[in-house]
Amino acid sequence: MNNLTAARATMAFSLGFHIIFAAIGMTMPFLMSAAHWLYLKKKDPVYLELTKMWMKGVAILFAVGAVSGTVLSFELGLLWPGFMRHAGAIIGMPFSWEGTAFFLEAIAIGLFLYGWKRMKPWVHWTTGLLVGVTGFISGIFVVAANGWMNAPAGFDWVDGVASNIDPVKAMFNQAWFHQSLHMQLAALQAVGLAVAGIHAWLYLRGRAPDLNMKALRIAMVFGAAASIAQPFAGHFAGERVAALQPAKLAAIEGHFATSRRAPLTIGGLPDAETRTMKGGIAIPGLLSLLAHRDLNAEVIGLDQFPREDWPPLVITHVAFQVMVGIGSLLALLGVLYVWFRRRGALPRWLLWAVVACAPLGMVALEAGWVVTEVGRQPWIIYGIMRTKDAVTPVPGMVYHFYLFLGLYLTLAAATVWLLRRQILAVQQKFGG
Amino acid sequence: MIDILVSFIAASLLLYVLLGGSDFGAGIIELLPAGRLREAQKVVINRAMGPVWEANHMWLILLVVILFMGFPTIFTTLMIALHIPMLALLVGIVVRGSAFVFRHYDAVQEPRSQGIYTALFSLSSLWSACWLGIIAASLNRGIIDPASRDVWAAWFAPWWGVYPLAVGAFVACIYAFLASIYLVGETEEPELKRRFVRLAAWGNGLVVLAGGLVFAASLGERESLPAAFLRDPLKLAIVGLATLLFVVLWVFVAKRRTLLTRIVASGQVALILIGWYVLYAPNALITAQGPLSFYDEAAPPATLRQLVLALLIGSVFIFPSLFYLFRVFKRSDGPKE
Ligand code: HDD
Ligand code: HEM
Ligand code: HEM
Repeated sequence: MNNLTAARATMAFSLGFHIIFAAIGMTMPFLMSAAHWLYLKKKDPVYLELTKMWMKGVAILFAVGAVSGTVLSFELGLLWPGFMRHAGAIIGMPFSWEGTAFFLEAIAIGLFLYGWKRMKPWVHWTTGLLVGVTGFISGIFVVAANGWMNAPAGFDWVDGVASNIDPVKAMFNQAWFHQSLHMQLAALQAVGLAVAGIHAWLYLRGRAPDLNMKALRIAMVFGAAASIAQPFAGHFAGERVAALQPAKLAAIEGHFATSRRAPLTIGGLPDAETRTMKGGIAIPGLLSLLAHRDLNAEVIGLDQFPREDWPPLVITHVAFQVMVGIGSLLALLGVLYVWFRRRGALPRWLLWAVVACAPLGMVALEAGWVVTEVGRQPWIIYGIMRTKDAVTPVPGMVYHFYLFLGLYLTLAAATVWLLRRQILAVQQKFGG
Repeated sequence: MIDILVSFIAASLLLYVLLGGSDFGAGIIELLPAGRLREAQKVVINRAMGPVWEANHMWLILLVVILFMGFPTIFTTLMIALHIPMLALLVGIVVRGSAFVFRHYDAVQEPRSQGIYTALFSLSSLWSACWLGIIAASLNRGIIDPASRDVWAAWFAPWWGVYPLAVGAFVACIYAFLASIYLVGETEEPELKRRFVRLAAWGNGLVVLAGGLVFAASLGERESLPAAFLRDPLKLAIVGLATLLFVVLWVFVAKRRTLLTRIVASGQVALILIGWYVLYAPNALITAQGPLSFYDEAAPPATLRQLVLALLIGSVFIFPSLFYLFRVFKRSDGPKE
């Protein structure tokens, strides 16, 4: 592994790790607040039990999210000083607002976790909701920072130096909206479905049926709604990518030659040597339609870019297929759930389907980030700065990588183990 | 603009050392033998730290964000030259935060796993405190050399040596001292209270001792601390005042005035930081090529304006909520006697 590869692997791994906990940290508080609200309204102790169970999960996962996020904020400098030297002043703004939101989130979570007996019930409930709200807002800010890397704005780049910096313009860059929208839905969707899946499984196994059915219903409100909305948000993101980053779109679709009536290829693998797609089903004109709302529109292909500016094709294409495949499947699941829920009864096969889909949202979320990040290569700031020019001069980055690989894998194993113990303890208490 | 930002940096650093520091110190205290008070001590620490440690940790994040947005050159220079100690600090922070929460929220409280969490929590608290001190000491030695690509000179020499190690030990002692003073007011159990007072007394002694060590070790540095302090009556007065305050502190401890002891101990630590500040301000760090000052290395004005705006608006929300947090859990003067 050379230094650049090691630094990239470290960044990818740290972010891929953090994003799971970040998504949970943004979404679980909402589930928890919903259960808590139902308890305060209906006084049904099952909802209280559910709130406390989820709360303990939030406490553990939030802490892992917070420490892994701290690592990230250092790693921006430890791994990419060449990037931060220029970008810090330009995109620091979303990070500073994100920091503010985190601060409030950390305060709110302290109040909520430990404040059961010290605050009036509804004040206490509000602090729980605030954890979710502030987490959600901070998520939007970070993604806006990432959007800037895809659609740089708010500065002039002359001879390798940024001048005329406008942090506000940089924050509200052309990619911030579609990326945040899509990401926040993804968090709701991935976490909602994962939680629903766990409770569906416990329900089907006959454990604490009342508790688990109530939990499943709350989680599916978020999971199903976000699943149904996601393909629209994703399509919107695709249109924006077509406009902002044609090379990324071409890599996503394995679209080599610029053409009108461009086909959309489902499956298949792009081959950079022969410049063709191998396998897959090509639907003529569909890519033109999706990207530019016109069957005959011209879609820019990879031939418009020098070979060394192509993103890694196979990774980008496959990740995209995985994400969209899962997105379509989950949208179907969402529709089915809403349909049966309105009819009043949830058939067992549907619950099994929820169990089967539990991990898929997270898989799609990770795949989506791979599309965004790998598809932007070789640029760290699209069209402005190459990743290789941003990397740290510190030698031996492989050791840094192995260190964090070991640390995070251990941490992940410990977290899973603890959550399992948590769930088992509650289920035992509630019998079944 | 830059003045405001430097004040925010100073304030965040101070609050991180005071508040975050006592959380680290609590971990260090758990390393010391406690006999049969061990369990009771753990309960008190869990209860005292649980609601506030995430918020206390945020001061560090704030520091990092202000640095990389407002002073990107300083931030990147630091992150390149001090890559290794930063990494060590991060590992400590990750292990420590996780172990603390795991210990508290593990659904099955059994001695073996609890023992592992406690060991990890307290060892990593000590570890992180020392590395923080090492990083602080490395800033102003004039060894950091952004131009060098020699492995030793560029990435080891800046933080290697007796002096950084002494500062690391000093920081660990300060943290343990702060935590003891703070914990005295967190329990009503007489035996435990006595233990924390005793620990504070030991911590007090160790702070003075380690402080002396830092001064002695600095004799081998480019500019020794005794020389720097003796040259300037103001600096000397600050050190003198910090030491004298120990007398006041123990009067309050003897009278069991919890809040006042906390204020005096915090004041002492603040004075130490102020001493450090007057020694080096307005330079953020001193490299082999000369000092990097906050005033020369700041981001363009448009960025600074936005940063100050964010900090001011943020403060409007953060300080009242923080106040509320501490009020809900601390009820001013600790438990009533
Ligand atoms: C549960 C997760 C999930 C699901 C089901 C989907 N996505 Fe997605 N996608 C993400 C999670 C995600 C993400 C992780 O949140 C990304 C990465 C960066 C971002 O803003 O969102 C993303 C990025 C992303 C991008 C790149 C945006 C950019 O680089 O600016 C496109 C074009 C799409 N998605 C399109 C889709 C389509 C057409 C879907 C159809 C169903 C879809 N996504 C489902
Ligand atoms: C949180 C979810 C994210 C994931 C899973 C993720 C994933 C990745 C991956 C897979 C790479 C490696 C690309 C390659 O080697 O080709 C990468 C690189 C990188 N990402 Fe992301 N990313 C995420 C979000 C972000 C955000 C929010 C930022 C910054 C604001 C960011 C900054 C970077 C940087 C600086 C690199 C290194 C340069 C590069 O390879 O582009 N990422 N990330
Ligand atoms: C380079 C990218 C990133 C950096 C530097 C970063 C930084 C941080 C930091 C410092 C924390 C700790 C805050 C605390 O102590 O409470 C944190 C936690 C968090 N991050 Fe990230 N983050 C990044 C990527 C992301 C992304 C892409 C998202 C979401 C879309 C996200 C959402 C969150 C949330 C919601 C938390 C709160 C903790 C939790 O809920 O678990 N972060 N992050």
